[in-house]
Amino acid sequence: MTDAIDEATGLVPGDALFALRRQRPDFVTGAELCRHALLTPADDQGLAPPLRLALARRMAALNADGPLTATYDAALDTAGARDDLTQLAAGKIPLPGPLRAMALHCDRVTRDNRSASEADIAALAAASLSTPQIIALSELIAFVNYQCRVTAGLRLLKD
Amino acid sequence: MLPKIRIRTLVWHPYVTPIDLARATPAQLEAMKVTPSSTKVSPYVRTLAHDPESYVTRTVLFNAIMYAQGGLPRCDRELGALGASVVNGCAYCAMIHGQRLAQLTHSDDALSALWYRRYDLLSARDAAIWHFARALSAAPPAAGPHHVAALRQAGLSDAEIVDLIHAIAIFGWANRLMHTLGHSEPTSGAPPARTSGQGRKER
Repeated sequence: MTDAIDEATGLVPGDALFALRRQRPDFVTGAELCRHALLTPADDQGLAPPLRLALARRMAALNADGPLTATYDAALDTAGARDDLTQLAAGKIPLPGPLRAMALHCDRVTRDNRSASEADIAALAAASLSTPQIIALSELIAFVNYQCRVTAGLRLLKD
Repeated sequence: MLPKIRIRTLVWHPYVTPIDLARATPAQLEAMKVTPSSTKVSPYVRTLAHDPESYVTRTVLFNAIMYAQGGLPRCDRELGALGASVVNGCAYCAMIHGQRLAQLTHSDDALSALWYRRYDLLSARDAAIWHFARALSAAPPAAGPHHVAALRQAGLSDAEIVDLIHAIAIFGWANRLMHTLGHSEPTSGAPPARTSGQGRKER
């Protein structure tokens, strides 16, 4: 069975790299469990799955990961995301409010983690994000960036 | 021979209020694997357990990647982790994994070479791992076929490169938590330093 990383890397059963990934079954199942915990959690902390998908799509695009971006586009489509989320997913800067604060944080931590500071966390709290929401957002950002590094690395081994 | 460097021990402080164990929910306690009477749960764990589900799944994945049996030697995973941490400006992660690298290799030579940017003094294997870790950690990722060619040339099998990719990637994850959700400072002496980047080491 293929998973999200196979799809974004272009791997199918029978490929040598598909088999090589399965030599580390804990990496494969672990990443899938994380994907569920970040994109479709049992307790979403008030950050609903379509919002999470929109942010994930935004960050996959910032990482120039075309296949992963396309995967998130398709999932957003299925989720029936509304206008503000499709704009968010497309990289637009939303009007002041929680969506804007989250978008700016995703952009900074994805593009230049080094530059993040206490002011960025304060900005999320000022936009009325709770501490559990700030943690869930931080994990989501980090997860998508993880996915992008795994897919970018594996693609180099594909040929 | 380069001057020896000394890695200063740092302590991490969160920007948000960590969970108070006395008030933690059952799900948070389960995630932290603690009882309400436990006292030794780090601020980092108590910060991340605000979202128990992601905390548990990430911890399982992290341990699988960094402590997997066989495959890429531990010291090479630590070097990959260090490369990611330097690119992502996570002083705390760089401190911890620089120390582990030195312990595992029983040597400060690689750390000294990295600190003084004397990459010519690294072994071919270390240099290939370092440059790949830095390139893959860039945003967008900038690793290319020549990086993989250098890794293979230095003797890494594709299975080992898969391990390395995961070590670098999971540190891109850890760095994006630790550096964004708090700051680190020396355990004693100097006033709090909130700088990012390479300030973790001192000569």
